[in-house]
Amino acid sequence: MRDFRRGLLATLPLAPGVVAFGLLYGVMARQVGFSPWQAWAMSLIVHAGSAQFTALGMWEATGAIPIILTTLVINLRHLLMGASVAPHLRGLHPLWKALLALWMSDESYALAIAEYERGRGSHRYFLGANVGIYLAWPTSGLLGALVGTAIPDPGRYGLDLVFPLAFLGLLTAFLKDRISLAVALGAGGLALLGADLLPGKWYVVVAGLLGSGLGLLLEKVKEA
Amino acid sequence: MKKLLIFTGMALATYSTRYAMIAALGREMPPLLRQWLRYVPVAVLAALIAPAALAPQGDLEFGLHAWAVLAGAAVAWCTRNVLLTILSGMTAFWLLRAIGM
Repeated sequence: MRDFRRGLLATLPLAPGVVAFGLLYGVMARQVGFSPWQAWAMSLIVHAGSAQFTALGMWEATGAIPIILTTLVINLRHLLMGASVAPHLRGLHPLWKALLALWMSDESYALAIAEYERGRGSHRYFLGANVGIYLAWPTSGLLGALVGTAIPDPGRYGLDLVFPLAFLGLLTAFLKDRISLAVALGAGGLALLGADLLPGKWYVVVAGLLGSGLGLLLEKVKEA
Repeated sequence: MKKLLIFTGMALATYSTRYAMIAALGREMPPLLRQWLRYVPVAVLAALIAPAALAPQGDLEFGLHAWAVLAGAAVAWCTRNVLLTILSGMTAFWLLRAIGM
């Protein structure tokens, strides 16, 4: 229970970011004809911010299948996140694994994997982080949909910096040697290139794969 | 009703990406895979940070966001604390914006 609470509390610094984008999502959902309750339901059921924003953008122009397929593609980055957290979940009951996957967001994954890296991680901490983000996302979405009027772009107030800054604070847990530093710089560079050239969130997948591959390669070179 | 069906489809698509690897990599895995997976978090986190800092509007620029992330990086390096990193980065953003950058 203590670990669960620690994970839950660890999401608090990220709340301004979640709420800012949640409000924006709610307003945009109204603009494409959702009722506040429908906007709320989408967040409760789907719980995937980037995919939801993209779906709203497609809503009036396409049908169900393209929206669902796009959601799948945008969330492919979770394959990488799931793979890297999997070694820490070995031996856990299948139901626990199924539960942890349910609300795994970029943010709660980052909190959990950094905590594992520091040797303090646990599935209860992971669940706490998942629940923390899950509590804030649909609620702020509903709020935004109920208010319904235009709210300013989170970028104007720097609120789009909350997540990258949090990721930066967590990244330090992994920067232990020159190889990991090279991986961070390489993946960052690739992501910049990828964000420019590739649609959606492909840049995370490509930079994540190639960047970690670079790490393995450098480690093999060092061993040899 | 149609919306609810689409939401459910989106949820299933999302869940499959989140659960697939956690379920598949449950048992013993080859050492090489294990070694590779150790570098995935640092690569993924860096990939999430870089465009948000250096291309917040889509185009490459060294602007407010980049300076704020740089300030955050210094604090992150020294303190390894998420809350302090967010606070310092945001403070840098607001200060620089106030002086008209």
